[in-house]
Amino acid sequence: MNRITRMARATATAVVTSAALWLAPALLGANLAQAQTAICYNCPPEWADWASQLRAIKSKTGITVPPDNKNSGQTLAQLVAEKASPVADIAYYGVTFGVQARKDGVTTAYKPSAWNDIPEGLKDPEGHWFTIHSGTLGFMVNVDALKGKPVPRSWADLLKPEYKGLIGYLDPASAFVGYVGAVAINQARGGSMDNFGPAIDYFKALKKNDPIVPKQTSYARVLSGEIAILLDYDFNAYRAKYKDKANVEFVIPAEGSVVVPYVMSLVNKGPNAANGQKALEFILSDEGQAIWANAYLRPVRASAISKEAQSRFLPASEYARAKPVDYAKMATVQKAFSDRYLKDVQ
Amino acid sequence: MSPRLLGIACLAPAAAVFGAFWLLPMAWLVVLPAAKGWQTYLAVLTHPRYAASLANTVGLSLAVTMATLVLGAAVGLYLARTRFAGRRVLLSVLSLPLSFPGVIVGFFVILLGGRQGVVAQLAEALTGERITFAYGLTGLFLAYLYFSLPRAIATFTAAAESMDTQLEEAARSLGASRWRIVLDVWLPGLAPTTLACGAIVFATAMGAFGTAFTLATKFEVLPITIYNEFTNYANFALAASLSIALGLMTWLVLFAARRLGGPATAAGV
Amino acid sequence: MTRPRAPLLLLITVLVTVFTVAPMLLSVSAGLVNNYSTGLKSGLTIRWFDEVWANYGDTVARSMLLAASCVAATVVAGVPCAYAMARSRSRWMRLFEELITLPVAVPGLATALALILAYGQIRGFRQSFGFILVGHLVFTLPFMVRTVASAFARPELQALEEAARSLGANFRQRFLGVLVPAVMPSIVAGSLMVFTLSVGEFNLTWMLHTPLTRTLPVGLADSYASMRLEIGSAYTLVFFIVVLPVLWGMQWLGHLFEKRYGIH
Repeated sequence: MNRITRMARATATAVVTSAALWLAPALLGANLAQAQTAICYNCPPEWADWASQLRAIKSKTGITVPPDNKNSGQTLAQLVAEKASPVADIAYYGVTFGVQARKDGVTTAYKPSAWNDIPEGLKDPEGHWFTIHSGTLGFMVNVDALKGKPVPRSWADLLKPEYKGLIGYLDPASAFVGYVGAVAINQARGGSMDNFGPAIDYFKALKKNDPIVPKQTSYARVLSGEIAILLDYDFNAYRAKYKDKANVEFVIPAEGSVVVPYVMSLVNKGPNAANGQKALEFILSDEGQAIWANAYLRPVRASAISKEAQSRFLPASEYARAKPVDYAKMATVQKAFSDRYLKDVQ
Repeated sequence: MSPRLLGIACLAPAAAVFGAFWLLPMAWLVVLPAAKGWQTYLAVLTHPRYAASLANTVGLSLAVTMATLVLGAAVGLYLARTRFAGRRVLLSVLSLPLSFPGVIVGFFVILLGGRQGVVAQLAEALTGERITFAYGLTGLFLAYLYFSLPRAIATFTAAAESMDTQLEEAARSLGASRWRIVLDVWLPGLAPTTLACGAIVFATAMGAFGTAFTLATKFEVLPITIYNEFTNYANFALAASLSIALGLMTWLVLFAARRLGGPATAAGV
Repeated sequence: MTRPRAPLLLLITVLVTVFTVAPMLLSVSAGLVNNYSTGLKSGLTIRWFDEVWANYGDTVARSMLLAASCVAATVVAGVPCAYAMARSRSRWMRLFEELITLPVAVPGLATALALILAYGQIRGFRQSFGFILVGHLVFTLPFMVRTVASAFARPELQALEEAARSLGANFRQRFLGVLVPAVMPSIVAGSLMVFTLSVGEFNLTWMLHTPLTRTLPVGLADSYASMRLEIGSAYTLVFFIVVLPVLWGMQWLGHLFEKRYGIH
């Protein structure tokens, strides 16, 4: 047998042996990430500064929570697919998805110690989901990428032909922020939860301006100028402006907008439920809430927001135009709206 | 050991893996739509949106396959016939995209044709207007072409190298024009390869998800529709039904190619 | 052999080469500059690599090992299977042949969903790499089997096997001593294909992965969506640096075998 064959044999043996040694424990089910882990679905590092939050959780509680880049819709779908034996311990998503998750039976009741600080209406009565922070929807505008065009100030402005090719919004059928955008537009243009006609008409009209409709967070694309105007939250815009020093402006449209909470749940029968609970406790603690405040979100425990962070928000007069809505109703009508959007607008 | 037993022993590992990890799970998936009623299986035909998505996917895949076959054959023939320094390197560079996940290809198209892309910047310098093609059908088509060409080039180069040049010599010496040579010598000689390669390119294009996901185009392809159903409040039954339809369609094309082509094609498909 | 000049073919080849290579070069350069919008004027840097390593370093080794394991498994399961297929004439074998190519036709999302529904309950399995490996296996097996089966079916090889059998060699000796070395170029070609497919697999892996078992393509998709363009580009460059040597190595090995053995 010549040298080549012997070489090949040796290589093959080495590969197979090392693969077997490496895979055997994995296949036999040993936990690869040892000790303290809690799996979170939808904790993207670049969204709402989860990166800082995850680091803080690790250093203060010793629990490692790996980042995860799903959006709300994917999170729910994955939780339901894995219902019989969940992979995740905690989940983060928009409020309507939290409501649906409870209906689908993938969450479990848990009341963190700061329970009473959370206002009614922003938490599920039994603790299947609870708000951790809120954001306001508006335009996140990369002023440089507009190349001299005026910054849009109203929903009606976006329909003008001068903004062709410059607009982006997340898919209302799968991303929560996408759905929030639709609700905001609907409320601002005279619709209601029972009548999404104005929103559908608006999106149809917007098509003439060639919008980009990604399915996942597109923070990077706004920074690079790829998407000049994105329908997104205030906290993302402030982060771009103050942390990443980009020439970004946040606009609350003249006709009005909405404020929405993001919630978290403890997953039913999660593998590391105790660690999941510890992580949730930290997120609702003073320290955890302060991290949200520093990332320009409104923490649900309002006491946590510092004066300095507050000064970086737009003035309160602007925020008067952004109102909360009936989140339970918003959850009930979401599926019908998704179907209608996919049918009429896509 | 009897040859029969030997055959079974040889087959066993592959059959076990396939049976346990594909056949069985698929059986679960196939019965899933039934939970919502028998008509769910026909959803792809009855709902106009799904039918349109299927038509889009088939149309795109066919167009990409045609373009890939023509371009791939051209490049393959050229590289097989010409010798120059660095030919081997060129061939391996051209086959590199075979290893790329679809998301990279989507990213590349955005680098080329997005708002901040090279083409937009060049166009702005030349005409003052930014030309953006990444998010439309053009961008999607180019992206699909990008990951299909390497397969065709690799296959056609090998096939062209083993093509019998005597026929071509004879035709040329008899005074056949270039066009006649293409029709009468090259096409029949490369036919089995073309069929096999075309089938694989078509199948890959039909099932491609990562690229369309990254590009987020308005032109909806069936894998994205399946994803939409999946994330739209976990509508598994419909997602499963659409997947079955897509799988069936693709398999039919592969099967037809194998039948039409005979044994020479069967090896490559 | 006369080589008539073919300007059209040359033109097409040049265009295709530019189309293929330009984005790769663009991406590489984007990963090395300080600021993509400013371009080369902003200076070269390797700081994006640090960020890539910090965020996604684990995905590189994971994907490579996964691909290597996939190759090893498809060789062990696929080569004997290919032999059986090449030697058999029965209808059942043809049916089996059709069946194992089905995973190529069905979208990856569906296979992944099916796997989760069928085996998701086994917690240890679900959270391990084995889960992803299994998905890659069923998808890549047909490629290995078909490539090697066509090599086994060559008449020269059957003659060789007959000769060995008549000289008294038993099956093990025939298989390992005559057949496998003879189809080695095919096995290497198949391995190259399997490695390539596994390292770039996204459709299946995206649904099967957990935050602890991310692979390179999944990490790439994440970085394109949420990280700066420069980081995504640097990550793409890392992908090239890691995958290219392996691909070239395997291609070189394949050429070596082809020169030695001729039958492939």
